[in-house]
Amino acid sequence: MHTLWLVIQREFVSNVLTSRFMIGFIVCLLSTAVAVFVQVDDYEKRLVGYNTAVREAEAEAQEWELYSKIKPKAHRKPNPLGIFNVGTENFGANTVTVEMGKPIFELSFPIWSAPTQKRGSDNPFLAMFLTVDVVFIFKIVLSALAILFAYNTISGEREDGTLKLVLSNAIPRDTVVFGKYLGGMLSLFPIVLMSLIVALIIALSSRVTAFDGNDIAHIVLIFAVSLLYVSTWYLLGLLLSVWTKTAATTLILSMFIWVLLTSVHSNAVAFAVEKFPPYKSNPESAALQPAFEVWDQFNKEQEAYIKQRGYDNLQESITWEPEKGEDGEPTRTRTGMGTSSESGGYYRIKNYHITNVAKADTSIFQEILGYQEQLRVEYANKAEAILNKPSEERERNAKFADMISRISFADTYDFAVGTIAGTDRRSYNDFIQNSRAYKREIVEYLRDREAFSSRAWFSDDKGAAELTDLPVFQHQRLSLSESLSRAAIDILILLAWNIVLFMVAYVSFLRYDMS
Amino acid sequence: MILHIAIKEIYRNLTTLRFTLMVILLPVLFIVNALIYSFGSGGYTTQMNNYNRRGTENRGHIIKHADQSLAELALVGPGEMPKRPSRLTFCAGGVDEVVSRSIKMKSEGTISRSGGGKDEDYKWRPPLKLEYKVESAGSTPTRRVKINWVFIGVLMSFFAILFTFDAIAEERARGTLSLMMSNTISRGQVLLGKYLGAFVTLMVPLIISILMNLLIIHVFGDIPFGTSEWLRILGMVGLFALLISTFIFLGLFFSSRVSNAITSLVWLLLTWVFLAFVFPSLLGTFVGNLNPIPSVDEISMRRRAQLDQIDDEWKGGANKIKKAPSIEYPSRTRTWAEYFTAIGDTEKQIADEHIDQQLRQVQFARDLTQISPIATFQYAMEGLANTSIAGYMDFVKQARRYRQTFIDFVKAEDQGDPESLHIYPVREGLSQKPVDPDAVPVFEERISYRSVLSQVGLLVLFNLLFFIMAQVSFLMSEIK
Repeated sequence: MHTLWLVIQREFVSNVLTSRFMIGFIVCLLSTAVAVFVQVDDYEKRLVGYNTAVREAEAEAQEWELYSKIKPKAHRKPNPLGIFNVGTENFGANTVTVEMGKPIFELSFPIWSAPTQKRGSDNPFLAMFLTVDVVFIFKIVLSALAILFAYNTISGEREDGTLKLVLSNAIPRDTVVFGKYLGGMLSLFPIVLMSLIVALIIALSSRVTAFDGNDIAHIVLIFAVSLLYVSTWYLLGLLLSVWTKTAATTLILSMFIWVLLTSVHSNAVAFAVEKFPPYKSNPESAALQPAFEVWDQFNKEQEAYIKQRGYDNLQESITWEPEKGEDGEPTRTRTGMGTSSESGGYYRIKNYHITNVAKADTSIFQEILGYQEQLRVEYANKAEAILNKPSEERERNAKFADMISRISFADTYDFAVGTIAGTDRRSYNDFIQNSRAYKREIVEYLRDREAFSSRAWFSDDKGAAELTDLPVFQHQRLSLSESLSRAAIDILILLAWNIVLFMVAYVSFLRYDMS
Repeated sequence: MILHIAIKEIYRNLTTLRFTLMVILLPVLFIVNALIYSFGSGGYTTQMNNYNRRGTENRGHIIKHADQSLAELALVGPGEMPKRPSRLTFCAGGVDEVVSRSIKMKSEGTISRSGGGKDEDYKWRPPLKLEYKVESAGSTPTRRVKINWVFIGVLMSFFAILFTFDAIAEERARGTLSLMMSNTISRGQVLLGKYLGAFVTLMVPLIISILMNLLIIHVFGDIPFGTSEWLRILGMVGLFALLISTFIFLGLFFSSRVSNAITSLVWLLLTWVFLAFVFPSLLGTFVGNLNPIPSVDEISMRRRAQLDQIDDEWKGGANKIKKAPSIEYPSRTRTWAEYFTAIGDTEKQIADEHIDQQLRQVQFARDLTQISPIATFQYAMEGLANTSIAGYMDFVKQARRYRQTFIDFVKAEDQGDPESLHIYPVREGLSQKPVDPDAVPVFEERISYRSVLSQVGLLVLFNLLFFIMAQVSFLMSEIK
């Protein structure tokens, strides 16, 4: 035990006293600080945009008087952990509008009156600069540092001849390997810790960022995963150091692997999958046509229902009480049913307004509406299933790319942290899913109060729509255990790398030829 | 003697591990690049088809409205101005996916008012403006790093470091440096010899890989290569040479400065990470925040307020535009023209200013990031591939010039019609006769590569600077 401690100490001291430690420390702190500074500012902007959008939506909601006019919105709340890992925060839709006859879906090209909207960024051209966040810095800089600490642990000492001296003492070889590993990690630990503390201090000094307990727990988890990542690189360096004869070779080889894993591999994979998608079907625009046909079926079914009720059209189902003039003769008043519709091919929204509604008996009309509007919701769901295919396909392709990317543990780390922070693609897809669930909730709400067949669907003459307890979109944040279980695969992969690399390094060192 | 050292350096390099690794990685990347751009989806052919389709549609649009009348054409506008896709996106993707593929000058939709009385009912088109739609509402992320020549260039700079970090420090440690210096040879010659050795070792595999890449693109890719393309590719090879040479000098500088090869590599590596990743990206976004521009919300609010004010002035109390314009009443028509011009000018001013601010901000950020030779190299490559932000700014300028050309054409054509009231831009105030569609000026994009010159100059400057630094530090360094 004592000898292990000695080896650790010696490794730690010899690392800390080198120039690379000081340079690495400063570089890491500095770049983390600047990255957080930029990201906090970005987060503030997102938050302001979100608050404005929510306020505007609330003001809009005050003016709804008819059930048919409500357009509740689901807003994506900016994630404070986006400061550490931006991920999907700046991408995709921020607002989903729930309308009864409108499917919720996403295409990769703009579409007229789309249900999903992205708030404009102030300068879309700035998107061409790569986003740099804390995790990016860790991924690139910390891994380089870990290698720089590890490359000469064995091969360097062997060149200097000190390895023989060390082993001539009564120290077992496993103690040497283990001690060197722990000593190296011990010298990397303060760099990771300080960088994260600096990041936290800068983030908290901004007025808008407030982390709750859950966030802090997530940050601690990110810290732990970052340590695991650094350890993987250190072990790789250690292994190469055992395998190669000179420190220079170790360094060249590990630098080459470093460039390959951090920059070349994932970019090449993602780009190749984008250009040669394995799941390829019709172009996205082809999905629109079947969605149009769904609405033709809807029209047919709707007309058939009205016919079955014994009317030629909807208007006939309304009866007006005859108006009596002063002399007892019926006078002509304007009566009738007007419609205003909004339709973009893939959706149908229709509003009815009835002239002289006070004189109209609309009980049958309401009954038909109650059937027809629920039918519209059903058909909107059918259209949604069709229109959602392209994005499901995109997701499948992206997942395929992710799977291949995972070969590189630099990407595994990226995925793990994104999942923990809740800024990965899955969290974004959850938002779209949640907005669909929200739509179902709204439909359920309307159905419960029989709003589809109520008079307040089209007229407020007998009281406006009662909307005080209309459900509001609930923003979901994952708890620590949920995030952990989602990130489990990636964390386990990292852990497996660690164990395998350590075992191989250990065994190789035991069989190491000293001469 | 220089040649002697250079050849010795080359032989030494050829047998190293790093050379093997480079010789494996480089062709692989260039071939992957060629295959992706030859066979991948959304390549040049697709882009060119889109471009041609846009052109044909636009031609149809002009013919249709020119046949109706000059007034109709003048109000609906000449349609879209598509940006020609670059043939060299496989070299540098640039901002191609961030900027819009066309600028629109087309009035869409109609505004109508009715109910006041027969001579008050009127239907009009919203005044023309240029629409620079930048952001696509779709959900595809565009930030992905692409495997193109620029990316490979960044890797080349890394290899340049790997080949030079020990060039002097190693020889010093082994003691061969003092042996070499005992000959009648100046230190400058040693440095130059080492430089040439590393340069040739890096450039030869690069050029061979590039030739393989071009061969695949040429045979399989549907990209027509003209003289201009070949010349630009030659220019790009020159840029590669400049970048590599910059980093060789940088490597020699650190190598002679630091006593130990490893320390030199540590310094070089961190410098490289900064120059390649942290600096260009971080500084870019950082500057964006330093130099803020009004937000989208602010601008749309200002626009609404100004348009409301104009509406108040013309439709409000005084109600100058109560009666609809007509050919019989020139004064009414003139009032409407004033109203339309006021709206058009406001829209033009706000839209133009907004995009100018955005472009200026990003240009400023780019100018600053040129402190990194890697960023300078990237911008120069993009400039040659015609996918740079400077190229887009040029395109915007040309679109604006075309807007003026079109308006001038309408006015000149209108002067030729004696029956017209010559009041622009009201339908009733302009010639009702059809115009010859062929006479309508056509938008032609002219591409200039002049912006590249400054970046080339900058790269040369970097070379000079690092050369002097390396030279001085080697002269001052101790041999033992």
